[in-house]
Amino acid sequence: MIRLDRRAFAVGSLALGAAGLTTRAQAAGSLTAAIYPGTWEEAYRNVVAPALKKAAGVDVAFDSLFAVDQVAKVRAARGVPPFDCFVLDPGPAASALQAGLFDPIDAKKLTNAAKVPAGLITPHAVTCNAQVVGIAYNPKKFSAPPKGWADLFKSPYVERLGLTGFQTTFGTVSIIEMAKVFGGSESNMDPVFAELKKAVTKAAAVAAPAAMPGLFQQGQIDVMYTNTNTVAILKGRGVDIEFVRPETGAITFQTTLHIVKGAENVDAAYRYMDTAISADVQSALQKQPYNMIPINKDVTLVDTLDVKSVDELAGMVTHDWTKINPQRAAWIERFNKEITK
Amino acid sequence: MSVAVATTTGDARPALFRGRARAPSGGPRVDWRLAAPLGLAYLVFFAAPFAILFGISFYADAEQTRLGLDSWIKFYGDLFYLKVVFDTLKLGVFAVVATTILAYPLALVFRAAGPRARQALVLIILTPLLTSVVIRTFAWIVILAREGVVNQSLMALGLTSTPLNLLQTELGLVIALTQIEMPLMLLPLLTLMSRMDQNLVDGSRALGASQARTFFKVILPLTLPGWIAGATLVFASAATAFISQSVIGGARLVYLPALIWQQSTVVYNWPFAAVASLTLLFAVLAGIMVLGLLGRFARTD
Repeated sequence: MIRLDRRAFAVGSLALGAAGLTTRAQAAGSLTAAIYPGTWEEAYRNVVAPALKKAAGVDVAFDSLFAVDQVAKVRAARGVPPFDCFVLDPGPAASALQAGLFDPIDAKKLTNAAKVPAGLITPHAVTCNAQVVGIAYNPKKFSAPPKGWADLFKSPYVERLGLTGFQTTFGTVSIIEMAKVFGGSESNMDPVFAELKKAVTKAAAVAAPAAMPGLFQQGQIDVMYTNTNTVAILKGRGVDIEFVRPETGAITFQTTLHIVKGAENVDAAYRYMDTAISADVQSALQKQPYNMIPINKDVTLVDTLDVKSVDELAGMVTHDWTKINPQRAAWIERFNKEITK
Repeated sequence: MSVAVATTTGDARPALFRGRARAPSGGPRVDWRLAAPLGLAYLVFFAAPFAILFGISFYADAEQTRLGLDSWIKFYGDLFYLKVVFDTLKLGVFAVVATTILAYPLALVFRAAGPRARQALVLIILTPLLTSVVIRTFAWIVILAREGVVNQSLMALGLTSTPLNLLQTELGLVIALTQIEMPLMLLPLLTLMSRMDQNLVDGSRALGASQARTFFKVILPLTLPGWIAGATLVFASAATAFISQSVIGGARLVYLPALIWQQSTVVYNWPFAAVASLTLLFAVLAGIMVLGLLGRFARTD
């Protein structure tokens, strides 16, 4: 990964150097932004970076890190931020906010702020993408699709289920919704742990979240809980997979951009965030192979997303991560202990 | 200047090893300054972080606000975590046993082979090393999966009606690690095998020892240092193989590397992660020391 970054960096600096000969006068700054590895990195390198260069003359370098690694890196740097902009899921965002790792956001500096639904730009965060979580299954392996969370624990689905724990946002919120179906809640996870314990002996796989798409593609599992993004990507590769909204509702959460406390390139960071939420960029990011659900109201949604409109997101299930975070370590430990042989 | 001294005194040894005085044992003393760059790098990039890690493990809480032995007590007072340590070491031992059983016959073939066949064998053994461990690990998913090569073959042959679960099991993980770590066992073993004096083997056979006896009494003791080097590498590498363990082993099998990753980057309990890290470090070191003792025992025998 590091080598790839270095190479990309080297190629990038060569290109910059070449460009600098002619356009140095127009350059309005640069920034380093953290980005998730994989689809996100691909999308932001190919879509956001050129758009930002064109619109504001700002150059962006990416540091590809998972959310938790970004927070760990900024914490470890102790005041000398290694990058200017975070991209985070709600869990890490809530803990980073509590740890005071963000600089405040002034929405007035974002020209596209009015096009984003209320509540998606907060004093510390700019939402750049929504995720929708539900059940994915292989339609060729079952006569009927699973209807809700409880079905995952019943035959024939449980024998083909891929289980994953609380390491990721989608895993955590999915298991919370399962807990609710079995009479529990965020504060009482006992019912779902009892069910998980029974399911674990039957399930096709218990694995790391990142391994799930691969296991599905290989036919090792035929049912999993995941986001629409993963479903669209696998579908794009020709995998037999369909997304199901559970009876109790699909889950939604936002991916947000933040300015790192003490960031050097604040103006460039605003231009970067503004570009990321612009209608053109959001419209490009919703298409294959990126499949990111837009949050800009001017965007007409394509039909591969399993979501019809930006407004639909308001009706989905959401969670309070300030309540989840304090319990998550204990859930992870309990999951470790109860599912291992 | 030292070169000039070397030629004038007629000492055949390279100037580098001459030094000003001889070590008490009579061996050449190496100028310590030559080791300084690496030594300093180790001091800065290993000893210092190690001290920090050690220090962090004595914080009592995840927020690192007060000192205490809580993390150590939590780790060593919980059977679950002790089992994780045991399983991690057990995985290393299994990998060593499996690679040994498969490597010795191949090493014997290598010894008997002509120069061309040897070159071909070395190429075959080294090729996997040129592929990233991530790719080798994912290749094993394709092979071991329910719809993978192994299961499809077994089902086509009618040996089983339902696909076997090989992924996400300790057996599957040991199979994959055996292939992944095999070059580490073979390379030192082959070096020793090719240096071994054929006359000793012939002598043993001429004096009436069976092939098995020759192997256990002559070949095995002579190649033991190579095996110990290989076993050390395989053991340390298999016990700490984070990628293979998490991708092939899955979440049902918890090993120390995955636990450390989880505690440090998901749960943010750095003191606890530090305890787990130190435990892994010393557990693997202990394993290596046992192998080293075996080497001393073998040499005096």
